[in-house]
Amino acid sequence: MKRLLLIHGAELAVFALLAAVPLAVANPYALGLLTLLAIYGILLIGLDVTVGYLGQINLGHVAFLGLGAYAAGICLTRFGLGLFPALGVATGVGILLGGLLALPALRLEGPQFALATLSFTALSFTFLNEMESLTGGAQGLSLTRPPLFGHDLTPRAFFWLCTVLLAFVWLTMRNLLHSQWGRAFEALRDSAIATDAMGIGAYRHKVAAFALGSGLGGLAGGLYAFNFQYLQPQSFVYDLMVILLLGVVLGGRKSLWGAFVGASIVVLLPNLLSNRHVFLAVSGLGFLLALGSGARGLVRKTTRPFQALAPVVAMGLLVVGGLLVKNTEDWRKAIFALMLFSVVVGLPEGLMGFAARALTRLFRVAPSPLPAPSPLDDVLPLRVADGSAFLELEDLKRHFGGVKAVDGLSMTVRSGQIHGLIGPNGSGKSTAVNVISGLYPPTSGRMRLRGRPLGTGSLYRAAQSGLARTFQNLQLFGELTALENVMVALKGVYRSPIPLVLLGLAKGEERRARADGLALLDLLGLKDQARTRAKDLTYGDQRFLEIARALARKPDLLILDEPAAGLAHPDVQRLIQTIRRIHQRGIAMILIEHHMDVVSELCTLVTVLDGGRVIAEGSPDEVKRHPKVVEAYLGQAGPGDAASEPA
Amino acid sequence: MNALIIGQLAVSGALMGLVYALIAYGFQLTYATSKSINFGQGELVMVSAFFSLTLLDLGVPYALMVPGGLIFGALLGLLVERTGVRLALEEKSEGWVLLTIILGLFFFSAAENIWGRDDRPFPTPLSQNPVQVFGIDITRMEISVAVGVFAIMGLIELFKRRTLLGKAFEAVSADRDAAELMGISATRTVMLSYGLSGAVAALAGILVSPITTVGPTMASAMILKAFSVAVVAGLDSGFGVVLIGMILGALEGLASFYIGSGWREAPGLVLLILALAVRPTGVFGKAGIRKV
Repeated sequence: MKRLLLIHGAELAVFALLAAVPLAVANPYALGLLTLLAIYGILLIGLDVTVGYLGQINLGHVAFLGLGAYAAGICLTRFGLGLFPALGVATGVGILLGGLLALPALRLEGPQFALATLSFTALSFTFLNEMESLTGGAQGLSLTRPPLFGHDLTPRAFFWLCTVLLAFVWLTMRNLLHSQWGRAFEALRDSAIATDAMGIGAYRHKVAAFALGSGLGGLAGGLYAFNFQYLQPQSFVYDLMVILLLGVVLGGRKSLWGAFVGASIVVLLPNLLSNRHVFLAVSGLGFLLALGSGARGLVRKTTRPFQALAPVVAMGLLVVGGLLVKNTEDWRKAIFALMLFSVVVGLPEGLMGFAARALTRLFRVAPSPLPAPSPLDDVLPLRVADGSAFLELEDLKRHFGGVKAVDGLSMTVRSGQIHGLIGPNGSGKSTAVNVISGLYPPTSGRMRLRGRPLGTGSLYRAAQSGLARTFQNLQLFGELTALENVMVALKGVYRSPIPLVLLGLAKGEERRARADGLALLDLLGLKDQARTRAKDLTYGDQRFLEIARALARKPDLLILDEPAAGLAHPDVQRLIQTIRRIHQRGIAMILIEHHMDVVSELCTLVTVLDGGRVIAEGSPDEVKRHPKVVEAYLGQAGPGDAASEPA
Repeated sequence: MNALIIGQLAVSGALMGLVYALIAYGFQLTYATSKSINFGQGELVMVSAFFSLTLLDLGVPYALMVPGGLIFGALLGLLVERTGVRLALEEKSEGWVLLTIILGLFFFSAAENIWGRDDRPFPTPLSQNPVQVFGIDITRMEISVAVGVFAIMGLIELFKRRTLLGKAFEAVSADRDAAELMGISATRTVMLSYGLSGAVAALAGILVSPITTVGPTMASAMILKAFSVAVVAGLDSGFGVVLIGMILGALEGLASFYIGSGWREAPGLVLLILALAVRPTGVFGKAGIRKV
């Protein structure tokens, strides 16, 4: 309660203060700055969706600002649309073009994504500049702010309009980003493969995030047009993009407050620089801060020497430069660069990330309590296992060039059965699993699930048809907590359409998801770690979390890819108990394992692979004695040791 | 007559495209060793060009200015690696994208204030008389661009294949961890690649300046096209960048004549977005297998 009060109280206070300023200050210049602050606030919240949540360096946002501004301007001057319809069109243009750009950019990561979006910025500048008949080209486009409901909008009224829109965007985005959507965006950032394998859908979430962020860019563009009443293509170029991007990073990623603080800095910085005394005070303060935190980090050995020293040098340069240079405004970009460099290196989580941590400690804000777990029977209903054929593989092949990783695998997994899949290293077990779960399309062969052909070559489709898997090399969503890792994969809970989520009317399913997620964590013995980030869990717990997350899919068939790899002995026992419990719920499993004792204890039927082919199948005891299996594991069997156990 | 105009536009464009190819080659050098590129590479081109111009103004002979400029570029490259890239690589984050953008911003502002915002001519010892080949005029400066680009790319490729240090470079490119286990310092190899990349950027600046003049924004359009070339060709094919660079340059020359000079950049950008949609690893890039 105290937590909610503090958070919402602070938000309310800031907006009330912001809205009250024009009552006290009549200076049109100050009012202009505040209006720009509100507009940039919306813009940066949109940018934060792709940069913070999706974790992609997006250099195309400024293009959406420009295109939105021109769309609103043209709607107004050409088609005589009113204020809100024009803003609607601007937003729509952002959403549409953002979605379109996301399609080719979808398959790209890191630098390639940045380059594709950068090209889009350049292309849209060319377009705005050259389509003179539509945009006025380099001459610019003049427009007059339209009236609202028949009343002329004074600068003050327009400022209030922008503030109200910022508050609206803030609230709806908070609802969205704290829902399944926000979790899915973050999951996508941490592991695109697992996002698909958990049936969340990397494709649609990437497009959605990009379209959403770009739509906000378009909305901000519309407001920008009505604010300045004059547009030039020159305003929407790479230079502004860099400043916006850095505003988000400086303020703090994945944070509405961060976007707001970033916007304030972007808007106010030129004014801070024009006053020499203010500039010296700011740079001096920055230098002392860098010195203090650097020294503390070095003494406590929490930072690398470079991380501690580089900000000090950069801020020192700023102070010395400020004393030497006559006109600081000429050096605006360099000053911005030095400040940003210090923040990016010294405070990677941004100003608000840092402040949030400090404030939480200061006010001793307790996290909101967790609900009671749902009954397990509700989360994983008992299934009747009739032993019928569930997954049938027929002559499955997967070749990589000349390497025949899987070369004619046929096996049948029956419902309610734990089916072991073993074989020496390189025998094709993992490739087989990757083909079944859709990571690779098969070279040839057939796969049937419940008698119907199983879609191939798509992790997402395989997950949708009832398969869930874990990964031998863990693919957890590292930045999400253990509970969120499970919640994001939960099947059948999130039903609310996006408008309800935006308006915060989907809290019920969120509570249900939390309770269900806790039940699964409890099943795996991870309930006490619910709030620990996945990357901070112990290795063993991470392996268990992978299983909990896969169970959140409520799968018909669970594929465990070497769940015991690297586990200590007590954890192996815990794993066996856990798999038994999952088995009791009637879920069929394919278990790939090297630990023969685990396989012997759990599996009813074992298939042995070597060189991509099945060399034996039977009960654990049968295959252990099978001469081909012994040979595969131990080499050519001598006359007396045919009964020796494979390792 | 028409064919002659097309030929003239295509040839001048293609020779200009070699400059994009050279800058793109600089991206490839660092991408190979560290999977990172310097987003402020354009500023390196520009600052090195200004520095070289200052050397000439100070009376340094042309023959000494070139190595001087290259060394300066290499030093800047090393500075970028130390301040912008190394930390992010150690943390396995993509922070280098932001940090190299920030460093570029700093270099830009510094150049603006030190050398002024105006474009300045860059002297060249070459005569202004063009050479005629099949009726197409080729300026001597354009020839010097081609010679310079092929010379430095050839030298670096030779270095990579024939020297021990170059083989270390190739080893780190192939598999960083394995190379480290074999006693090769990956950090030093990454430094080497950034130094080379900086020198390549400086040469691009020296070669192109007599044609474009020197100014703070001289590289801002060029760098976009160099990005396009690098991505379309793929970030690991030296041959690819030359080919794509020349094609892109030729297309650009033709587009500015037939559609309008404002649309000059459009073909490259459209090509880039299309290429990314069809082949994200580039036309000449190697497609990897997704592994889990």
